[in-house]
Amino acid sequence: MISVSHLTRRFGDLMALDDVSFEVGKAEIVGILGLNGAGKTTLMRVLAGYLPATSGSASIGGFDVLRQSIEVRKRIGYLPESVPLYREHRVVEMLQFQARLHGMSRADTKRRIGEVLDRVGLADRKRELIGNLSRGLRQRAGLAVALLPEPEVLILDEPTSGLDPLQRIEVRGLVRDLAARHTVLVSSHILPEIEATCGRVVILHRGRVAADGRPEELVRTLLHEAHVRVEAVVGADVATAVRLLKAVKGVRDVRDVGRSGIHHAFEVLCDEDLREDVGALAGARGWSLRELSWRRPTLEQIFARIALGGTEEVRREVVPIAVGAAASNDGALHVLGGDAPAPQKVVYNLNPFDMGAARDLGKPKAVEGKVPSADEQRAREARGGS
Amino acid sequence: MRGVVAIYRREIAGLFFGPLAWLLLALAFLLNGYLFVFYLKFTGGDVDTAIRSSLGESWPFWALLILLPPLLTMRMISEESRTGLLEFLLTAPVSDAAVVVGKFLAAVTFLGILWGSIFVYAFTLARLGMAPDPGVLMGGWIGALLVSGFFCAIGLFASSLTNTPVLSAFAAVLINLAIVISPLLAQMSGQRWLRNVIARVDVLDHHKNAFMLGVLDSSYVVFFVAWTGLFLFMTVRMLEARRWR
Repeated sequence: MISVSHLTRRFGDLMALDDVSFEVGKAEIVGILGLNGAGKTTLMRVLAGYLPATSGSASIGGFDVLRQSIEVRKRIGYLPESVPLYREHRVVEMLQFQARLHGMSRADTKRRIGEVLDRVGLADRKRELIGNLSRGLRQRAGLAVALLPEPEVLILDEPTSGLDPLQRIEVRGLVRDLAARHTVLVSSHILPEIEATCGRVVILHRGRVAADGRPEELVRTLLHEAHVRVEAVVGADVATAVRLLKAVKGVRDVRDVGRSGIHHAFEVLCDEDLREDVGALAGARGWSLRELSWRRPTLEQIFARIALGGTEEVRREVVPIAVGAAASNDGALHVLGGDAPAPQKVVYNLNPFDMGAARDLGKPKAVEGKVPSADEQRAREARGGS
Repeated sequence: MRGVVAIYRREIAGLFFGPLAWLLLALAFLLNGYLFVFYLKFTGGDVDTAIRSSLGESWPFWALLILLPPLLTMRMISEESRTGLLEFLLTAPVSDAAVVVGKFLAAVTFLGILWGSIFVYAFTLARLGMAPDPGVLMGGWIGALLVSGFFCAIGLFASSLTNTPVLSAFAAVLINLAIVISPLLAQMSGQRWLRNVIARVDVLDHHKNAFMLGVLDSSYVVFFVAWTGLFLFMTVRMLEARRWR
């Protein structure tokens, strides 16, 4: 239904889309995911016939978006991020205008207006001025306008942007329902939106397709780090414990994470949840368990890795935090003053299971948990002064 | 051009839903009515001369034409570009030309209604036994409409140049002013070649020498239609150029 081949779009020196290629089948719902500035809106605009591509081609329903733009526009319902609607019009008037633009007959217009208003839940608000509607209702009105001509393809650019959580859930539900009758291309930079709505995800990064596939496929392909974490008292013979864990059917590898008190932690890498098997082994060997959990990476972590350049670790300058103290490399605390230590380098661990990208990257890991309270600080200063 | 009527109807509704159009119409009607009575008195009751003065032979007509079309057209493209509505229109199954022509016709309709007030005065005077020459009346109105169309096309072109309506209105006023006063400036320069060149594109002269006399000379009609068409064509090109920026 949608075919994009080596699509490139430049804005001066800026490469907004760089050799983007993908196909979308009929009645498929595909999420375009990317950070702000990744090229999502540009891609949507090119497909909607608003922007021409610098090179490459795109077609919808077999029609080229540039050369047969009017034919393409007849077949799409496009909802830009800004939800452009005439604020001085009533909802029904806006829909009538859309119907006239699409050359719909009077009977069709009346029938379709009733249908789409019911579908988006605006039947009782159709006489209201669009300017008086809340953001969420305007979004629904925009969706109704896009749906009115019964398009084969729906292109929705950030349809939940600016909505409250409840409205987001409503719009997500709406978009999911649409997939039964339309091919839907929906963009967002909010990952849970896409995960919850789309059967397939295309991740754009700096104008390029960084990943394309079903979310679970992406998780499987891009990260082989699903594992059972086990913390147990295994005694002194850790090597035997590792060997036994590796012998469990389905285990790919075992990582020795290290000892914490009397417990020893392992990561048992496997594609399926093997907690029962590992638990049975622990029971059989008499290991006293403290933790047995199944951990698998999420699309969010993959997205974060791609967005941060696909690296395991990212080096960043630490900005000293004005809390009166900062930690040095050796872990000791130094009061910040005129001879405050120079900014130190900290390696951020992007291990998805170690808070990783979910952690606020603005906070240097080196000072986490080591900043003394005000009372401790005063006591420390008093001791230093005496 | 499919979609022209849809765009036209939307623009007319948009104009009359807002207060600006009503305000402009009320002020222009007041001014026109006052001036028409003044011209009648000044000419000693010569209805045809009063009509000519109202529709082109007086400076208030040209002052209105310099100011009104830019105010009407300033939002039509620039504001819609800023709010994203242009994106909606340009992804609808209508051509860019249909969008521009629909908007242009709406602006011309508004000015047609404005200049149409002359028919009310003419009808009133006819009832009082002072019927005007229908040729002067119709010729004057059609001429005013053609000149208005030309200035509206300039306004739309200016509106396509920027996303700021006030800036586009300012640019259009400057262009209109230059067109209206260029014959005077050419005259003052004393350069014969310049006078000859300007005379070819003298809007005032073309309006006064044909339509004001009650004559519908096709060459004069073509003159205005061609210039209007040129600016509308440039507006369509500007819309297309926006896509490539």
